[in-house]
Amino acid sequence: MAPDRKTLIGRVFPDVKYHISEEDLKDYVAVAEETHLSFMNDGDARAVGYERRVIPPSFAPYISIIGLLRAFDWKEDFYLDYKTGTAMFGEQELEYLRPLYVGETLTIHSSVTDVYEKTGRRTFDVAKITFTVTDEQGVLALRGAQSYILFK
Amino acid sequence: MYFEEIQEGMAIPSATYGPMDRYKHIPIAIILRDTNPLHLDRVYAQERGMPDVVQQGPLNETFLYRFLTDWLHRPWDLRKTKIRFAANVFPDDLLTCGGTVTRKYYENGEPRVDCQIWQQNQKSEQILVGEATFTLPERT
Repeated sequence: MAPDRKTLIGRVFPDVKYHISEEDLKDYVAVAEETHLSFMNDGDARAVGYERRVIPPSFAPYISIIGLLRAFDWKEDFYLDYKTGTAMFGEQELEYLRPLYVGETLTIHSSVTDVYEKTGRRTFDVAKITFTVTDEQGVLALRGAQSYILFK
Repeated sequence: MYFEEIQEGMAIPSATYGPMDRYKHIPIAIILRDTNPLHLDRVYAQERGMPDVVQQGPLNETFLYRFLTDWLHRPWDLRKTKIRFAANVFPDDLLTCGGTVTRKYYENGEPRVDCQIWQQNQKSEQILVGEATFTLPERT
């Protein structure tokens, strides 16, 4: 019998650091076909009022997801084995408190804030993880929540 | 578009992206450090009842963000998003994104606009549905 995932509520994951590297951004901008000049160089970013080159806001969800995927282990923390189970995104909330810049190192702090069972065509658990993303000075830059659908 | 020109109920110009490319799943898997075979291995995906590999959810979001931030004055005028992942995207799908303004107001002196946003595929199936809040400059 599968363990009751409701027991996971309150679990705090280890903090994860993520550096917004040139390599990740270069790969991402190419795939996403993001073309705004403020993503390309400092001068164009300053021309529209940013301190320096920013990342596309569309990359912000990736940062949160990278942080979460590094923070927990599907099998150990959510009793999910890819060989027999499937995890999918449910809902995501993000609040952008300031632009994010290329070269920043961010810290993602996350915890499980809710788990509940739902039944549609199949029965599944929904696990909600709430997180904050802070910069090198400890200032909050991004916050939100991500829920995962965990099929039994 | 300026804050004064925004009206509740007005549509944000839609945009269509695609066809989706299965080979983009590879750099996204590398960026996310997530090698879930559902996105990369067609046999694995089909064993789980999918017609093909499933595009990563964040890549679906990329296009919804682009639709909105390409329209804003500055990309980081985005303030909040709340997005529900309703259905999967598969290779060769076309994704159309749209939105409707639901409210305009000031928060802490900043002009703010709330909108409903959505993404659907070529079969008009909802892929992403949600809400976004952004700011726009004022003319005056």
